Amino acid sequence: MMKPEEVLKLVAAARGAAICVPTMTTSPAWRKIAPDDLSVGCVGFMGGAAAMGLGLALGAPDRRVIVFDGDGSLLMQLGSLATIAGAAPRNFTHLLFKNGVYHTSGSQETPGGQGVDFAAMAKAAGYRASCTIGTLDDLKKRLPSLLSDDGPIMAQLMTGLADSTPMNSPPGTPFHQQVAEVRARVTGKR
Amino acid sequence: MPESVPSSLITDTFKEVFQAERRGSPRQDPLGWIISVPDTHQKSVLAALDKDRSLRVLTCSTEDDANAVAAGLYMTGEPVIVMIQHAGLYASVNTIRGISMDGKVPIFYMIGLLSREKDKDPKDSRHSMVRFAEPLLDVFGIPHARMEGPDDVKLIPEYYRKSRERKGPAAVLVGLETA
Repeated sequence: MMKPEEVLKLVAAARGAAICVPTMTTSPAWRKIAPDDLSVGCVGFMGGAAAMGLGLALGAPDRRVIVFDGDGSLLMQLGSLATIAGAAPRNFTHLLFKNGVYHTSGSQETPGGQGVDFAAMAKAAGYRASCTIGTLDDLKKRLPSLLSDDGPIMAQLMTGLADSTPMNSPPGTPFHQQVAEVRARVTGKR
Repeated sequence: MPESVPSSLITDTFKEVFQAERRGSPRQDPLGWIISVPDTHQKSVLAALDKDRSLRVLTCSTEDDANAVAAGLYMTGEPVIVMIQHAGLYASVNTIRGISMDGKVPIFYMIGLLSREKDKDPKDSRHSMVRFAEPLLDVFGIPHARMEGPDDVKLIPEYYRKSRERKGPAAVLVGLETA
């Protein structure tokens, strides 16, 4: 099992000018690893990270968009796999942090737990490529292509629990401010 | 008595809204985005949009997807209209609250009142899905108006602007099935 924080550090070092969309337990860690960054968290509408990333990818086709999704989160809006596949954004990378539980609410097992194969679901929905990665060494090898090959791409990352959750971390920048900051950075408009 | 609004009148109005939003922008293609979860009430508009190359229509699996996609597009400066049905409004209230209200993302909705009886005010409809749409928007403080005939297409730019000015949701309800 990979530590989510170690995964995020590798992505932070490789992402270039990509817009990142963290959600749930990746949010507090990402704030520490990449503060003051071109990122917008999915806060207050669990399940929407991938679809919001799709909108960003379609509107900014010259930038890579990387979504840090959770297994419990994606289950709440599973149809977004088909929405994304149908739109087929080439600049879209979907990193699915799979720990098999709802960590934030007390680590209850997600429906189907570790048995649910999100990489297979993404491929079956029509993603250009998908894979499952279980070690940091494998991630290091594959990350350059995950962030540059034509998307939509999903990597299902077999991870343990993050050190923090949104419930035991200081609050980050409010969502509406993140939206305004990303819009200002991308468009120059408020 | 309410009347059906021709689809061409609606699509032309969409284009005028997008042209105004795009003025001075380096990106003009597509002119704007229609994010849709197909609505039977507005099917003639969706059919007309399918043949129009200047606008890009993205069909979403759910209204939750539609709201989140619209937010992403807004952050990149792209003009968006979301077309859904009243049932989709009910299905996605948490996402509308989280994204458009708390997130202060201006989203303009066209919401079809499927099964609305021509001779009845929606509040007197025998269908709960027709009756509850406007009261629900009121509970959330979402500005809305009902398009009851061709003269009412002016509500589209008016409520689109309202969503921008208040940085939040605003909606036009489609009273009768479009022609």
